[in-house]
Amino acid sequence: MISKEDLEHLALISRINLTENELEKFPKQLDKTIEYIDILEELASDDSINLDLQELRFEELRIDEISLSDDKQLNKNITDDGFLRGPKMK
Amino acid sequence: MIGLEIHAQITALNSKLFCSCRGNYRDLRPNSNICEICCGLPGSLPIINQKAIEYSTMTSIALGCKVPDKIMFYRKNYFYPDLPKNFQITQYNVYGISSIGIDGKYELDEAKQIRISRIQLEEDPGRIVYSEGGMNVGNTALIDYNRAGVALIEIVTEPDFTSPKEVRQFLNKLSLTLEHLGVCDTLLEGSVRCDVNVSMNGGNKVEIKNINSFKEVEKAINYEITRQSSVYNRNLNIELETRHWDDKKKITFKARSKEEEHDYRYFPEPDIPVIVLGSDFVANLKQRMPELPNQRFERFILKYKLSEHTSNILINDKKLADFFESTLKLHFSPTEIANILVTDFKSLIEDDTESTDYLKNLKVKPEHIAELAKLIEGNKISRITAKDILVKIFESGKLPSEVVNSSNSYKIADEKTIMDAVQSVFDTEKSAVEDAKKNREAINFLLGKVMKFTNGRADPKIAMRLINSKLSDPEKQ
Amino acid sequence: MTKLDDLLAYEVVEGLTEGQFTAEEYVISILKRIEEVEPKVHSFITLDTEGALSSAKIIDKKIREKEDIGQLAGVTVGIKDNISTQGIRTTCASKILENYVPTYDATVIRNLKENGAILLGKLNLDEFGMGSTTEYSRYRPTHNPWNLDYVPGGSSGGSGAAVAAGECTVALGSDTGGSIRCPSSFCSVVGLKPTYGRVSRSGLISYANSLEQIGPICRSVKDLVMMLNIISGKDAMDNTSMPSSPITVPNKSNKLNVAVIRELITGSDQEVAKSVFSASEKFQEIGFSCEEVSIKNLHYALPSYYTLASAEASSNLARYDNIRYGFDYPIGEYKWDTYFSNVRENFGEEVKRRILIGSYVLSSGYYGKYYLKARRLRSLLRLELLTLFKKYDLLIGPTMPILPFKFGEKIDDPIKMYLVDVNTVIANLAGIPAISLPIGFSNGLPIGLQIMAAPFEEQKLIDASYELEKVIHIQRRPNSI
Repeated sequence: MISKEDLEHLALISRINLTENELEKFPKQLDKTIEYIDILEELASDDSINLDLQELRFEELRIDEISLSDDKQLNKNITDDGFLRGPKMK
Repeated sequence: MIGLEIHAQITALNSKLFCSCRGNYRDLRPNSNICEICCGLPGSLPIINQKAIEYSTMTSIALGCKVPDKIMFYRKNYFYPDLPKNFQITQYNVYGISSIGIDGKYELDEAKQIRISRIQLEEDPGRIVYSEGGMNVGNTALIDYNRAGVALIEIVTEPDFTSPKEVRQFLNKLSLTLEHLGVCDTLLEGSVRCDVNVSMNGGNKVEIKNINSFKEVEKAINYEITRQSSVYNRNLNIELETRHWDDKKKITFKARSKEEEHDYRYFPEPDIPVIVLGSDFVANLKQRMPELPNQRFERFILKYKLSEHTSNILINDKKLADFFESTLKLHFSPTEIANILVTDFKSLIEDDTESTDYLKNLKVKPEHIAELAKLIEGNKISRITAKDILVKIFESGKLPSEVVNSSNSYKIADEKTIMDAVQSVFDTEKSAVEDAKKNREAINFLLGKVMKFTNGRADPKIAMRLINSKLSDPEKQ
Repeated sequence: MTKLDDLLAYEVVEGLTEGQFTAEEYVISILKRIEEVEPKVHSFITLDTEGALSSAKIIDKKIREKEDIGQLAGVTVGIKDNISTQGIRTTCASKILENYVPTYDATVIRNLKENGAILLGKLNLDEFGMGSTTEYSRYRPTHNPWNLDYVPGGSSGGSGAAVAAGECTVALGSDTGGSIRCPSSFCSVVGLKPTYGRVSRSGLISYANSLEQIGPICRSVKDLVMMLNIISGKDAMDNTSMPSSPITVPNKSNKLNVAVIRELITGSDQEVAKSVFSASEKFQEIGFSCEEVSIKNLHYALPSYYTLASAEASSNLARYDNIRYGFDYPIGEYKWDTYFSNVRENFGEEVKRRILIGSYVLSSGYYGKYYLKARRLRSLLRLELLTLFKKYDLLIGPTMPILPFKFGEKIDDPIKMYLVDVNTVIANLAGIPAISLPIGFSNGLPIGLQIMAAPFEEQKLIDASYELEKVIHIQRRPNSI
């Protein structure tokens, strides 16, 4: 059962504010989803099967070379010195 | 009980861990060393750096760790403005082995070993600086992502240290090892960070973060031990907490607690498949990797027949040892050259060892020392002269032969000239001569006078012989 | 002669090469079609008329100068709005990325451009790819061209509808749990989710990165193959991408062994099941054998999918804090974590639900209960399917268990909505390729057949689809709009 406190905690660790409406209806909706996925409990916990979809061999990895990008990746809130202006820290 | 968690940048890399931006971000204009990947732009994917895996494996080997056949990356999820994706790609061993090294041992000295819990590869976040100076209330963050994505090796030890001195010893050895491997230049600003945990008398562990150089570590631990002792002395308890080291005030202070910080919701990084190193990987790397300090030490003793004492001095200063071996390539005379380097040469460079390039900028090169050694061995100059020559070539960069020629410093081997000098001394030091007849030790005084008279150039052996013969032959006085 | 905007992709390339019309003429006819139809269908979020016309002019110039024009020359492509296009706003149908203009092209976009394709604009989707009807788009929903009161499917609803309505020659979508195949089925067009790793994901804005692939949506199998060959390939910018061989069509193939998945039939509406049976009869007529099989672990598939997808989404969407890019929301006096939470209030409800579930299942204490089990199921399912693929070349069933439905029918109950994906998530979990091919109508509403094959066996999928397409002539364009 997801309580309002549980929901608020999840919202905090996910950094998402919920509207009043959402705080009302989410507990029940999330409960139903969790109930739905609870069926996974029936599966055993044995880890002997592990089919990773892919493997990368060491030889295939990226060579350590510099390649500079000349696109301007950051466009908003840039100071004259080039810093990104962020929010207050305290 | 003291344990360490060290983050060392792989400064040897050209590029970052997951993209091809520059690995050396220092002195660049803010946000000029970024791309879609290290900025976490939507749709960007991490591309792992092959060399980073090599360097971190070498470090694992050097610290006696087991290296698995396959490694994985995990996401550590938390929000912070210096973290472009609001998660860090790192490694994690709770659900199975994923990191590049585990269960290692590092010898501190003959008596003690430190257990290495794990070694992992991860990315550095960006940096936040604060407008108007400090992280105070009301100041906005100024963020620079130039460093975001730089490769870090994290080394975690068990709490096996029992004194700050041991920690310093360990960090010195570790720096030397990292330097030998070429992995990390620990003198570069910001290249190493160290977190320490200290617990006394079986009490709670206090974690100290934000120690930005190896030199500060010992100070921080000393401070914390003092602080904890005084708390215990007042019959109070130490709380389980995180503190920060303030390197200006030289104190530890309590950090703001972040309650939900500890649930990082680790899960395997879907964008990077399992990386197969293969069962031969470690063996191949061991063959190719640079020599470790203790291997070099053994080799110096075996191959060059140097004493343990001399070898130790050389090994503990990698650049000096490199200089030594470069010189040997020009003139193979290990004992003589080692001798010059660890005595007179070393004292001349003593003041400059802090800078990363300190030997590179010297005017004296291996050629100079090789030639100097040849001159000494060929009996062309005396050891005393050699000392002066060394100072002169340090200043001028001229070859020893040039200096010797221009200052007329060649050894005098001509018996008549030396005899004249001996006669001169005997004439002026009559009481010393009388002493010398009775007391063999006093002969050295006479020898000294002869050397002084000849500006150090007389061949001491010949001079000594002539002095002795003059002393024992009454007629020659 | 066929109306220009009715031409299939390979016909456009042929026509251009033979000088039957110019690229500019073709693009203008498509743009006219869009003008007619868009007010009813609402496929596009961003239409780049100028860009399309200028690309067309460049192709015409190349043709005049006898230069190489590329294999997709003149073909107009609609791009799902979660694929990065340099200089063109890419929103993921979310308020959070309202003003986001990428500084780079996704690899698939570069591939298209290099081959002369003309980018028309960005197509509507459920926000961040989360949904099955496009009702979760923060702009407005797209309407099914076959019946405007009905959903077009999702999350690539804009892509499915635009192709069916003739608003573009072909489209690109992305498929995490069925998001290409569902709209393809509901809009009576052909859509393929490639083998995981066949197509580069660099530039695809991640929702669930271990499950998703970019794929083509077209009006014919031949068009699909053209597109697939251009976008496939190992990419240095995507460590999960792998090399593959080009597909040929037609292809001299052996008779294939097909098996119908029993559970998918029993779980379907009657009309849907009927269509699938007649398709399997057609297969037998062509000479493919057709049996029935059962998949043991199927009932765990959907719960596993939602566990894994939500977990990955909660992490993939963490980066949207509006300080580097995003939408108009001044930083003001907020402390950083308050700012983040305020900004992210602007996610839609469904996105919020999935992020919260994702955080929940990854929390310490729950990791073993849900996430680890879901991963284990994934491996079990894949193993089971690979074993079946040793005996059978193809596994078939209905793409969707139900017919297209009306707007609002499922939106109040998330689980009802999730159940719509029950047939399609199998291929994403197992990483295998799957195609949806139109095979019939019921009351004017389209029905699609899903065909799945072993990893990197897209050639078999195409062989079967091509043969079926020849004998089942299904309308790919509604007359009504």
